Amino acid sequence: MRRAAAVVLLFLGVGVDLHLLLEPLRDSGQPAAVKAMTLGAGLALAVLGVIGGFLIARVPKERIDGVTDHLESMVRRGMLGLAISEAESDALGRLGHAINRYLSFVKEEVEQSHLDAKERQIQMKVLDAEKRHIEAVIRAISDGVVVTDAFGDLVLANAAAEGTFGFKFDPAARRPIEEAITDKGFLALVNDMRETGLFTPHRTVEWIQGAGEQARSWRVILNTVVEGKRHDRISGVVAVLHDVTKEKEIARMKSDFVSIVSHELKAPLASIRAYTEMLVDGEARSEAEQREYLHVIGTETDRMNRLIESILNLSRLESGLVPVNKTDLAVTEILRDAADVMTPQAVQKSIRLEADLAPVFFRVHGDRDMLYQAVLNVVSNAVKYTPEGGQIRISTYLDDSSVVVDVADTGYGIPPEDAGRVFEKFYRSRHSAKEAKGSGLGLALVKHVVEVVHGGRVAVESDVGKGSIFRLYLPAVR
Amino acid sequence: MPCRILIADDEVAIANVVARKLQNAGLQTIVATDGQEAYERALAERPDFVITDLQMPGMSGLELCERLTAELDAPIPTILLTAKGFEIDAMTLTHLPILRVMTKPFSPSELLANVREALGIGSAT
Repeated sequence: MRRAAAVVLLFLGVGVDLHLLLEPLRDSGQPAAVKAMTLGAGLALAVLGVIGGFLIARVPKERIDGVTDHLESMVRRGMLGLAISEAESDALGRLGHAINRYLSFVKEEVEQSHLDAKERQIQMKVLDAEKRHIEAVIRAISDGVVVTDAFGDLVLANAAAEGTFGFKFDPAARRPIEEAITDKGFLALVNDMRETGLFTPHRTVEWIQGAGEQARSWRVILNTVVEGKRHDRISGVVAVLHDVTKEKEIARMKSDFVSIVSHELKAPLASIRAYTEMLVDGEARSEAEQREYLHVIGTETDRMNRLIESILNLSRLESGLVPVNKTDLAVTEILRDAADVMTPQAVQKSIRLEADLAPVFFRVHGDRDMLYQAVLNVVSNAVKYTPEGGQIRISTYLDDSSVVVDVADTGYGIPPEDAGRVFEKFYRSRHSAKEAKGSGLGLALVKHVVEVVHGGRVAVESDVGKGSIFRLYLPAVR
Repeated sequence: MPCRILIADDEVAIANVVARKLQNAGLQTIVATDGQEAYERALAERPDFVITDLQMPGMSGLELCERLTAELDAPIPTILLTAKGFEIDAMTLTHLPILRVMTKPFSPSELLANVREALGIGSAT
């Protein structure tokens, strides 16, 4: 009877302990492993209880009552551990000692699992923040990013990709990439990567979007995301799109430039070569003819040299190698100097060159030498392309916040189809090519000096047969 | 009747030196300094041979050759002078009576030899 009571009592004690153990776990969302461990501890306690029961059967009733009271007081106080007095050195005392050690072990484990859970929560928060950061970075970068999963559903697309393909990415609603992106060429790249990307997981391909004037060139970098122990499964495709339209345009312009320069240099070279051979072969039949050939050779050599100088000048200017020395200066003075220098050439062609300059000195902040060269180029062009007996008028006035320089001539004029291109390097209107020799670089230099160096603007108004007005707008100094 | 050769080049110095070389060899020359002028003079004067620059303002040497071939009963054998020979489509040439493309700078003597060969006339000297 006493033995049975002792066993029941002990089971009760163990049950209370288990209750105390499990209570903190109930609503804490602990992982299954922690719960299992706690239950394991409970079971172990139960076994200890059974053994303890047999031992207790031999222990005086008062001491068991003492233990019971102690346990109940612990339950009331919500305590864990130190359930049994360890004072006695007999069997009950040793059992108490063992149980207490076990309970403190369990207590430590529970506390540790609490800490682990908290740490995991923090880690989750950090991971979530990191994910959001990475997504923000991906969304902000200027290259387009498109990510699909193994099934071809769109997982991620950034703002640049949305702009490129004209769709809105919704992270909450996954949909097949075909529903968002309709360009067949690009879809083929991504789908092909998804199907065959295991063999070539990194690819860089060029893709042309659209056609004609609107066509854009893209460098598409495709990568597969692989998974599985042997990396033998594709779980997605990442496509990064870099716009190379401008790069290609620059490359084309460079190549055009080289081609035009060599062509322009070959023209005088061809003359030099041909006339030299004529002289060597004795084809010049008189002394006058010899002099004529030598004169051509000299002229063409000068032409070639001028062309090379112009190219070098413009290239030095464009690459910023020429130091810019800006001061506040009066535009009127520059115009007067340019008019003075050009007057003899104008007089030679019976052209009236007028500098109708305002008495007020409009001031700009600029590099005198560069502005002088720019104005000189425009005026010298006007003299070149104005027939004998014509008129050139240089004037200046204030327009909004700009000092405007007008060079108006009664020259051949520029056809509308050429007017927009006369400031391009080597672009020469077919009329201009017929009327006078030129490198096709003079106005390109004007444009660079006015627009790039001084933040102004150039414009041309022209009427074929009536003349042209070249306008230079320079920011005024108030 | 001596052979008449039309020379078209917007580089007057080149047109003149070619004309001088051919004249010294006893050939008659017509000089034009752009494509349109060359076209008009070719229609009016029916030369036996054309030497034309490729790049000319208005009408290019190829266009000149195409238009003359389209309008005349007998195509006029032509030598094309160019500073950028590599940019001419070989297929275009097969449809036109262009015997040779000579790149600038060129040798006037070599040009004369080519003209003579094309016209089937021997060296005068």
